[in-house]
Amino acid sequence: MPLIRKPPSGSLVPPPAPFDAAALSDGSSDVRWAAVRVAASRPDAVALLGGALARERDPRVREAIFSGLARIATEESAGIIVPYLRSEDASLRTGALDALHVMPAATAAYLPALVTDKDPDVRLLSCELARAQPAATANRLLCAVLDTDPEKNVCAAALDVLAETGGPEILASLNRCAQRFQDDPFLAFSIDVVRQQIGTQPASARE
Amino acid sequence: MSCVSRSGPSPLPRVSELPPVSEEDFRKVCEFLYRQTGMIFNESKRYYVDRRIGDRMTALGLTSFPLYFSRLRSDIEGEIETFINAFTVNETYFYREDHQLSCLTNDLLNELARTKRPGAPFRIWSAPCATGEEPYSIAIWLLENWRDVDKYEIEIVGSDIDTRCIEAARAGEYGARALMRLTPELIQKYFESVGEERWRIVLDLRDSVRFTSVNIVEPLDTWAHGTFDVIFCRNVLIYFDDASRRVAAENLYESLVPGGFICLGHTESMSRISPLFEVRRFVDAIVYQRPRGNAHG
Amino acid sequence: MAEGSKRVLIVDDAGLVRRFHRDALGQGGFDVAEALNGVEAMEKVLAEPFDLLVVDVNMPQMDGISFLKALRRQEGPTGAVPVLIVSTEAGPQDVEAARAVGANFYLVKPVRPEVLVEHAALMCGGVR
Repeated sequence: MPLIRKPPSGSLVPPPAPFDAAALSDGSSDVRWAAVRVAASRPDAVALLGGALARERDPRVREAIFSGLARIATEESAGIIVPYLRSEDASLRTGALDALHVMPAATAAYLPALVTDKDPDVRLLSCELARAQPAATANRLLCAVLDTDPEKNVCAAALDVLAETGGPEILASLNRCAQRFQDDPFLAFSIDVVRQQIGTQPASARE
Repeated sequence: MSCVSRSGPSPLPRVSELPPVSEEDFRKVCEFLYRQTGMIFNESKRYYVDRRIGDRMTALGLTSFPLYFSRLRSDIEGEIETFINAFTVNETYFYREDHQLSCLTNDLLNELARTKRPGAPFRIWSAPCATGEEPYSIAIWLLENWRDVDKYEIEIVGSDIDTRCIEAARAGEYGARALMRLTPELIQKYFESVGEERWRIVLDLRDSVRFTSVNIVEPLDTWAHGTFDVIFCRNVLIYFDDASRRVAAENLYESLVPGGFICLGHTESMSRISPLFEVRRFVDAIVYQRPRGNAHG
Repeated sequence: MAEGSKRVLIVDDAGLVRRFHRDALGQGGFDVAEALNGVEAMEKVLAEPFDLLVVDVNMPQMDGISFLKALRRQEGPTGAVPVLIVSTEAGPQDVEAARAVGANFYLVKPVRPEVLVEHAALMCGGVR
């Protein structure tokens, strides 16, 4: 059976190239991708990746930058990403949101300000970030949204997460939200679903 | 992925004191699992999902659904994996998911061959490979089903994080269950009998598959394996947490040549893992491709 | 589902939105499937034909705009399927961004069920 050969092991792989900061902004997207991956393991990674993110236009290279920052998972690395939630570019917003989603502990400190941001689009995306938080944290943040946020769509985003995290402690906020937006069939439907999910639960059974 | 074969659905009896699973509890679990894994549980699986919830609550000594859901949501002690294992086949055997092997020889290799000269290397990676059934299946399938198998230098690598699996794969010894999908002719051709109900892969075939250990979440680990034309990465990413999935997907992307393909398990979807790959539909399977060049939107 | 029903794919990451739209379109006589983001939507449209896609913009992994770009690159009927964007993004630049990549119509959330069904019917050729 000579058709499939087993070649000598390890002969095919070149050693990783030494880090070249210029490669983060020059050359093909494959070169930039490789540079980002190396940069992500350096001590000065946050600054390097932050700079690269500001310049990068290729969605796949941006994805690698977001991953590198998500892997570092500090408040500092999350802080680099947060402003991109405001981007006009949907793919950039998505990349930022997905990266923050995988580092919930690093993102937690930013959430109270984000869910009360002056921009309703930012508040809306930030509700989704609460999904990655412990249920008690998510419920606290999102009940405040239900109580006060003037935008239907922000409340709807909060409800989608509360459908997963909520317990009897959110019922009062559900009721207040229902009263504020009585005329909207989607919010009425959403609140009804979340209420039904909570309805039969004894309060003591929650985490 | 462990080489210790996992058991199927546990037939624990339902405990009568547990309250029945409500419609909204059922929907909540379905939506959560769908969001997390992409697996669709709908009304047609209601009975099985309800029973599974009951079984898990009984096994854990939990008396209320919210307590169980909280554990599932936080994935405590791998609860998501434990739950969905009842709905997936965890056994590994030869020619499992052979529609992907059909796809490999009917479409993937032919497409990749268009940019290769005769004699050029073709590298195929099975990771994780567990006890070797998959990489050996690929080798046998290619020998049996790909007319151009002699035209290229084909290298098959099987890798797993578990070194006991690697040892077992190198030894290449299997029981009857692992061989259940193979015809007697194939068994005769590629195996030798080594005792009652035990068969061993013939030496030539064992010599043609290389086995290594790898942690696919570790970039230097995957880097050291070079680049591949096709990667089989089945039934492992679905069980990783979100952060590990992300890293693994990027490692695998880097381990593919431009235009190279990755095959996931049939219940897995790249949609919960990464946007890096392009979705390709072939007659036999949906697979994911690293784009050629810098093509992107 | 009645034979000859028009088949609609709802692409939205919010479970409550999918459920609301599915109920509305189901009651409107449509046969409905769902996807959670652009990657899953691409898997679904490559696997089977749809008469209409109802697509959100902000979604994990692949947003609606990136999905539309990838969709319109597909050959044949798959790449030509009508797309109704249903998004919270209400600015003229958001509508223009969607139109530029091949969206056929744009509605701002939240959408009333009868409005969704009416638009879906029109975009499927008025027959359902």
